[in-house]
Amino acid sequence: MSVSNLLENWSKFRHTHPVGDKGHPDWEAYPSEIKWAMSIDLDACTGCNACSVACYAENNLPVVGKEKYSHGQAMHWMRIERYWDEDKREVPNQGAQFLPMLCQQCEAAPCETVCPVGATNHTEDGLNSQIYNRCIGSRYCSANCPYKVRYFNWYDYPTTENVWPAPMEQQLNPDLTVRGKGVMEKCTFCKQRTYTARNNAKTEGRKIHDGDVQTACQQACPTNAISFGNLFDPESRVAKQWEQQQVELIKEEQEKDVKPGNNLRGYRIFEELRPYPSVMYLERVRESDV
Amino acid sequence: MGKDIREDIAWAHINQDVLKSLENPRPLFWVIVFVALMMFGVGVGCEVYQYQMGMGVAGLNNPNVWGLYIATFIFWIGMSHSGTLLSAILHLMHADWRKPIYRFAEAMTTFSLMTAGLFVMVHLGRLWQFYYAVPYPNERWTWPNFQSPLLWDAMAIFTYLSSSVIFLYVGSIPDFAICRDNIHPGWRKNLYTLLALGWEGTDRQWRNFRVTYLTVACFLIPLAVSVHSIVASDFAMSQQPGWHVTSFPPYFVAGALYSGCAAIITLFIILRYVFKFEEYMTMPILKKTVRLTFAIAMVWTYLNLIEFASVWYSHDEVAKAVLIDKATGRFAPFWWAMNFCGSVVPFTMMVKRWQTSIPIMFAVSLLLNLGMWLERWMIVTPTFSHGYYPWTMDTHYWPSLVQWGIVFGSFGWFTLLFMVFCKIVPSVSMYEVKEMVYHRSLATKKAELGLEGGH
Amino acid sequence: MIENGFNRRDFLKVLGWGGTAVALSGCGNTSIENGKETVVSYVEPTDYQIPSIGVYYNSTCAQCDAGCNIEGRVREGRVLKLEGNPASSINRGKMCGLGQAGVQAHYNPDRVTEPLLRAGTTTENITWEKALATINDKLNGLKGEEIAFLTGGVSGHVKVLLKNYLDVLGSKNHYAYEAVSPAVVRASNKKAYGVEMPRLHLDKAKVIVSFGADFLGAWVSPVHFSQQYAQFRKGNRPEGRGVLVQIESKMTLTGANADRWIPIRPGTEGILAMGIINALGVGVPADVAAAARDYTTDRVSKDTGVSAEQILGLTELLKARSPSLVLAGSAAEGYSHGSQNAAAIALLNQVLGNVGKTMDAPANVQFAQLTPTTGNSLALNDLNDVMAMGKLKVLFSYGVNPVYTAPDCLKLKDNLNKVPFKVALAHYLDETAMEADLVLPLDSALEDWGSSVPEYMPEPQLSIQQPLMENLYPNTRGVGDILLALLKQRHADQYKAYEDFYSYLRGAFVQNKAALGGAGADDDAFWNETLGKAMVKLPGTAGSLSGKPTVAGLSLPATKASEGAYPLRLIPSVSPSQRDGRHANLSWLQESPDPLTTVVWDSWVEIHPKTAAKLGIVEGDIVEVTSLSGSIKSQAYLFPGIHPDAVSMPLGYGHEAMGRYAKGTGANVFKILDPLFDKETGELAINETNVRISKTGKRVVIVKEEGPNGGSQLGRPKIAVKVSSDKVDLSKEV
Ligand code: SF4
Ligand code: SF4
Ligand code: SF4
Ligand code: SF4
Ligand code: SF4
Repeated sequence: MSVSNLLENWSKFRHTHPVGDKGHPDWEAYPSEIKWAMSIDLDACTGCNACSVACYAENNLPVVGKEKYSHGQAMHWMRIERYWDEDKREVPNQGAQFLPMLCQQCEAAPCETVCPVGATNHTEDGLNSQIYNRCIGSRYCSANCPYKVRYFNWYDYPTTENVWPAPMEQQLNPDLTVRGKGVMEKCTFCKQRTYTARNNAKTEGRKIHDGDVQTACQQACPTNAISFGNLFDPESRVAKQWEQQQVELIKEEQEKDVKPGNNLRGYRIFEELRPYPSVMYLERVRESDV
Repeated sequence: MGKDIREDIAWAHINQDVLKSLENPRPLFWVIVFVALMMFGVGVGCEVYQYQMGMGVAGLNNPNVWGLYIATFIFWIGMSHSGTLLSAILHLMHADWRKPIYRFAEAMTTFSLMTAGLFVMVHLGRLWQFYYAVPYPNERWTWPNFQSPLLWDAMAIFTYLSSSVIFLYVGSIPDFAICRDNIHPGWRKNLYTLLALGWEGTDRQWRNFRVTYLTVACFLIPLAVSVHSIVASDFAMSQQPGWHVTSFPPYFVAGALYSGCAAIITLFIILRYVFKFEEYMTMPILKKTVRLTFAIAMVWTYLNLIEFASVWYSHDEVAKAVLIDKATGRFAPFWWAMNFCGSVVPFTMMVKRWQTSIPIMFAVSLLLNLGMWLERWMIVTPTFSHGYYPWTMDTHYWPSLVQWGIVFGSFGWFTLLFMVFCKIVPSVSMYEVKEMVYHRSLATKKAELGLEGGH
Repeated sequence: MIENGFNRRDFLKVLGWGGTAVALSGCGNTSIENGKETVVSYVEPTDYQIPSIGVYYNSTCAQCDAGCNIEGRVREGRVLKLEGNPASSINRGKMCGLGQAGVQAHYNPDRVTEPLLRAGTTTENITWEKALATINDKLNGLKGEEIAFLTGGVSGHVKVLLKNYLDVLGSKNHYAYEAVSPAVVRASNKKAYGVEMPRLHLDKAKVIVSFGADFLGAWVSPVHFSQQYAQFRKGNRPEGRGVLVQIESKMTLTGANADRWIPIRPGTEGILAMGIINALGVGVPADVAAAARDYTTDRVSKDTGVSAEQILGLTELLKARSPSLVLAGSAAEGYSHGSQNAAAIALLNQVLGNVGKTMDAPANVQFAQLTPTTGNSLALNDLNDVMAMGKLKVLFSYGVNPVYTAPDCLKLKDNLNKVPFKVALAHYLDETAMEADLVLPLDSALEDWGSSVPEYMPEPQLSIQQPLMENLYPNTRGVGDILLALLKQRHADQYKAYEDFYSYLRGAFVQNKAALGGAGADDDAFWNETLGKAMVKLPGTAGSLSGKPTVAGLSLPATKASEGAYPLRLIPSVSPSQRDGRHANLSWLQESPDPLTTVVWDSWVEIHPKTAAKLGIVEGDIVEVTSLSGSIKSQAYLFPGIHPDAVSMPLGYGHEAMGRYAKGTGANVFKILDPLFDKETGELAINETNVRISKTGKRVVIVKEEGPNGGSQLGRPKIAVKVSSDKVDLSKEV
């Protein structure tokens, strides 16, 4: 009989967080010196969709076709959202706004706690992982994701007509699976790439350097709007950007936002819900007096 | 108020009447069984199709990843509450009038739990892997996630189901013995012999029986409350607008009792006619049930209003937007219908004359349950189609025919199980009705003799 | 790590307490203390198993004429993904979505895989020997002018072989046709600056005023310009963050990124340019000032629909912030006075003194025979006339699909039928290949050899396209190989040294290795290194722009009053991924939402909400768009970013053939364009067609990425996107 046993924080056995849980003894293979993070500069992003297509190419995303798209069953891990200024003008006097939305790899991910089988977990390098062969398709994770960036395999896309008709299946990336019906999937921060980079670094007996790994979306982006890297590496571009924008990971409100008159443009979406997202956006800038 | 039961029914007569229900019900019984079978067939067809094709045919999408399956799941879980819970509470309170109706109410519990369980399966994207959610030792030592309310749910439901079955079974043992002793030889007799566990009605057996029954009843009450509280946790523990409401557990429990009571009325009326139980399922008992239902309806109404008010005054913009959407958006007709059925229709139960009017109460009980089903739907869907993130809101969402088909089929499945049960197990507790008659006659005698204590 | 201290017996003890007890197993007498760390999922995703290593080969993107340098990722002999080559001065490691879909063009399930011969109503697969022999037969005894080649833009060694072959045939009929090309701007640039495509330095400008140049979307070299644009937007460059003003009647992707988007009455771009020149006042050469004098702000405002305040504001901005860059794009050039529009816009750029600052000359490249022959739409007109006269006996087509892209009014299909023998070198059985008598199946761009010189490149370079994998089908051939085989039919001895196009290409490089930076190197070493990089610097001399603004011949018509029967201007839009329709069979692109409307898998009619209200049209109404030349139907999309006098539809949809993803998807706007041409260059005036919109009574739910809210943040602004104005401090940004 052990009350302390009852009161144990069981999540600790399922989630490792590079932030906070530093030094957890079980992860010797991959010490928590990596926290992958991203920043997306909305002022640079033109809404061109190159990142989204790159993700299709890299991550074996199925093309669902018109009918399924119309049912809201598209599988784009990276979706480009287009917003208009809501100023009730007849004709916009500025352009639209674009927002590349992908899994925010929340450090306290609402999707993780609710999964009945622990198919979505936190990895020791700070990602929200998705274990396809463990998932039973309850979709609770998606229900609880505030950003709605989880995509469910409503059909068995590999065997669906015209998704990968021969010889299109030869394009599939063997570094990751093609998901079958009934499992959840979402952006992984291209984990096959981070994993390879990590292994290479390990083999060479060194730490990961900034630039060792690029996500497919980042790599394609013609305007370099996306930066990706290790937030724990002060030399990485991402870390510098977060630092410069005074955005901290484990905060539901940034100090700079409490102070009036800050002129920084880094922000995270739904920060106040406390998921601690790992993607920072940089506000679009518009010169209004032209 | 009239008598709950005539005090002059002979015990042998009771046996005869009830055992008759196992032999020759009214023809309507067969009609109901046939219709239920057809409905169930529709559901099975839809499920087979969905299993083959994938969940997409249910018309679910991003963000509407949950739909009627979850809503109907909660409905059936709720439905299950009144049976066992009321039976147990009333038992503890020595409310005699429960006796003729508790058996079928408990059966209702068991079968609606089983129906609810089906929806969990129907809902899963990979139902062939459902056992991943079960904590069992396996070669990889993978455990389910004990943090997930869905897991608590699975466990709570399983526990409730097993306990309810035990409660139902234990309470039926003396009756099985009666069946065993009275029914002509055949497979049924063998079955009853087995089920009666050698019941002889000895003193010792009765004493043990009473203790066991009481223990299980005591165990069931908190369990039942916890079950729907845990179902409420699926929502309340999430972070979604319209769901993370502190009052959800009591609200769900009230809703559960409510729909359960309404269902008891419906089934009361059906069984009374089909199995010719007019002598036992009497109007005064109906009246009591109706009054109880009305009381619960008011509790539910209160908690419902509390929920709206707390959302409204919390100034949680997003939750408020969901509430406004419920009242004005695509689902507004259903939301208003839910409020109408759930909070206005019960006032018909205040009319004394109507409390014992079979057609009116039949219609009212069906409306109440419609309202309760709508309540579950209105908890699930609007939060999905009008969640936090504006880009993915999908207010055009409508469930596909496959979803409707399975929901429809589930009513067939439930009815089928229930009807078959009533044909095999005495749906009125013979030994307890005898107790009731005995108590009544005792009371009458005492009154006649001018002694005190009659009630 | 998998320390298993929690044994089955413990478990069963725990389980013995029933379901809930398991969750609360601490209540039992059993401690599971030593097993608790096993509450971790050891089921690692298979994604963690990387079976082998990808190999990268450099090549050149063939998806559009920008010619970005790419690298293909190859595993187990299959090409999996295309990525930008970081060493490229064009795209610096980046790629657009269209380019990445190149793998889908390669693995496309609807490729033509065998030579096809059509005779009457029958089609049969034939051998290459027979195909080439048939061509030889058909050509025998024909005069040069009876034979013609219709191609898209060509450059590099294929261009050389093509020229050689035409020479051998004695034909001068090479028609380089591009359905959508900046041909008018090229001509106007040539007049204003002395070159067709000056080099732009967006990154050096403080202000960019673009008259409908969609340089981020589909214009000239979008990946290259996107990178410059990103620099232009950087707050930490010496010039500060640049300001983009986009003036156009239909919002393009570039317009969507503007600080100020100015909708202008269609066709009046030149007038606005002159109005700004007039308003500039100081610093304008006398003759220009004189020519601009009539363009008073009031008049210009009336003609263009742009407010006087805005005109003056823009003028002030240009005065205050120099250097700027003024660009004329397809939106301004697609009128019958398109050349005049472009000239006026170039004049504004010159007057502002930007020439030499944000714009300079491309280098003159030494190997003129390799430089691109760019296409235009005039070529198709000319060819069409020749065919109509029944003068052509054999027509080759390659890299074009005129049966799809020609407006109905040209009657191209009828005229094509007057050509007795048509050979299509094709990837798909597209509309043109369906009309051909002989279809020659081509290698995909990832299987074929080639070389190219992009029209727009920061530094002169010769790019190489090399096979990234074995041919998927045994019977497809490279275009170079086909031309070589045809040449060998005529001059076997001259080409006998070249077994195939590869050896020809290698020979050509190796022979010129001295000029290509390989002086003194071993042939093999030079070639291997060149192939490794898939590009070499071309020798060239610095060019110069003739900077003198001239107003000679400039005349801008006042706006055409809208005509009663056809009150709206149709502006066909060039989508960054569909372009002229050649990529319609790539499913990634069909499913990649249009950036502005977010529509997928279909075309649409953009209508301003005000205009739609007048016509009683709501979103999803199937409307008929009727011009003098025909009519098509599509779904209406209410779009604020369009001038109320105009409607817009994307090009590239509505194929009748080509493959499963293309066929029947949307409607083909090319069909209903009126036969109106730019007066100076003869180019099809693509924006000049007027239409009327009528409801058909049918309505659909548009399939698009944006939800029923139309991408609004629903009164809860700043959920997803937020805007900072100029108050932010960008100078210290990383
Ligand atoms: S964005 Fe959604 S899916 Fe991604 S980690 Fe956060 S909650 Fe989970
Ligand atoms: S869908 Fe899969 S990952 Fe998501 S909660 Fe259900 S089982 Fe877990
Ligand atoms: S990080 Fe990788 S998986 Fe995620 S959106 Fe980008 S390309 Fe896709
Ligand atoms: S590729 Fe870059 S610029 Fe294009 S949409 Fe994606 S983030 Fe924006
Ligand atoms: S711009 Fe053109 S050449 Fe460059 S990647 Fe895109 S399609 Fe290819």
